[in-house]
Amino acid sequence: MKVLLVCSGGMSSAIVVKAIEKEAEREGLSMVVKSVGTGELAEELKNGWNLVLVAPQVRHRLDELRQKASVHNVPVALIPPQGYSPLGGAIVLAEIKKLGS
Amino acid sequence: MKKLFELLDRYLIPVMTKLSEQRHLRAIRDGIISTIPLIIVGSFFMIIAFPPIPALAAMVKPYANQILLPFRFTMGLMALYACHSIGYHLAKSYNLDGVSGGLLALAAFFLTSVPVSMENKGLALLMENLGGGGMFVAIIMAIFAVEVLRFAKERKLTIRMPEGVPDSVARSFEALIPAALIIPAVWLVRDVVGFDIQQFVMGLFQPLVLAGNSLAGVLTPIILITLLWATGIHGDSVVGTVARPIWLVLLDQNIAAAAAGQPIPNIAPEPFFQWFVWIGGSGATIGLVFLMLRSRSPYLRSVGKATLLPGICNINEPVIFGVPVMLNPLLFVPFLVGPVVAGTLTYFAMQLELVTKPYILVPWTLPAPIGAYLATGGDWRAMVLVLVNISIVTGLYYPFFKAYERKLLSEEANLIQEEAR
Repeated sequence: MKVLLVCSGGMSSAIVVKAIEKEAEREGLSMVVKSVGTGELAEELKNGWNLVLVAPQVRHRLDELRQKASVHNVPVALIPPQGYSPLGGAIVLAEIKKLGS
Repeated sequence: MKKLFELLDRYLIPVMTKLSEQRHLRAIRDGIISTIPLIIVGSFFMIIAFPPIPALAAMVKPYANQILLPFRFTMGLMALYACHSIGYHLAKSYNLDGVSGGLLALAAFFLTSVPVSMENKGLALLMENLGGGGMFVAIIMAIFAVEVLRFAKERKLTIRMPEGVPDSVARSFEALIPAALIIPAVWLVRDVVGFDIQQFVMGLFQPLVLAGNSLAGVLTPIILITLLWATGIHGDSVVGTVARPIWLVLLDQNIAAAAAGQPIPNIAPEPFFQWFVWIGGSGATIGLVFLMLRSRSPYLRSVGKATLLPGICNINEPVIFGVPVMLNPLLFVPFLVGPVVAGTLTYFAMQLELVTKPYILVPWTLPAPIGAYLATGGDWRAMVLVLVNISIVTGLYYPFFKAYERKLLSEEANLIQEEAR
């Protein structure tokens, strides 16, 4: 499963990416997770992703991001705010599993 | 307090986010952001040309003009770069050819200038109008050009290429009629009628630039950004959409003055906020992180540890969503008041010339004291001011942090009791 995280500049989501990777490894799941800024989303989507997760602080741009992802038929979901921290890996991973199944 | 968050959510947030998602403002934001790498690298040559160490400064002084050339061709031509990329992004947002949009925007912008004749050397463009001073002209001309491009496309005023002509060739011809509309139009206004578009637009936006540099102009973005972040919305990206052109003009005036050896005029370009107010991220949360490191609550302690490094690099989403500060009535007060106090204090410190006004743009992920030092061209007093600001906001966070910690501790205790049952 390939999951793409989007935040404003791709900085803060990189922290969350690490948290998800750690949690996925703990559960023995194979997963590719990457972070990008909103400006890079359209370009990155060309590389084939299964799911786009949007950081809570850019949720006001959800429609615009969803539109970009719909071109590639990639589903988009919001990251729950309480999962958006270095300690939130488990919360986001649970969300990914729920959306992926 | 809950009522306040509800009010914010109902009134402020929709208006602000709608504004920031407005198509033209979005193109301006994305266009200007594309130029930031050039500005950062370019303005770094200012530090090389005028190093903070006197002995070194004397050594490089004879070469200052050569050293400054990369700065002049980046920061000094900021409006030019921005014009192209705003045109590109706006065209893209309409699903039009981005390159055509960028080029038409550039042509429209260039035509607002009148070259001066250099004896025996031909014609020259004044760089002054292509830098920060021309920013608003660049924005307006880019919008004008792309809107004409869109108008032509919608009305099918395009030259159709026969089947079999490669796509890229066909696309470039799509811009032919728009170009034939844009170029004569600007030429007519500027050169035939003689209406000085640049002077007019600069005059129009002058009050905005002046306002941006006043105390109210400093506190307004601070308050709006913290209010947005308090509800978990990326405040700087929303407010910056509108404010960043003004901040860039202020920065350009400062850096031009510094390069010319004149006193620096403006207090409030973006580095003011970045280094002296948003220490550790919006809301000056570095103080909160320090307090969490030694919290009695295991949860807050682990959040503190996990957020220290990102916090030093001014990334604080983990604090805002992890603590959380978002929608947290206890922490809302210092989250808002801290930056307001830090901003006011810094404003007066700079107005009284106790600290050099910032004029260099450095990457925002540097630790605040270092960033402040570099942004002020190497003023050690800037570092002191940052440290003073950090202690003030830490002090402001303290009582509210303690109250929140007590609340968490009692919740944690309740949880353990329940589990024991």
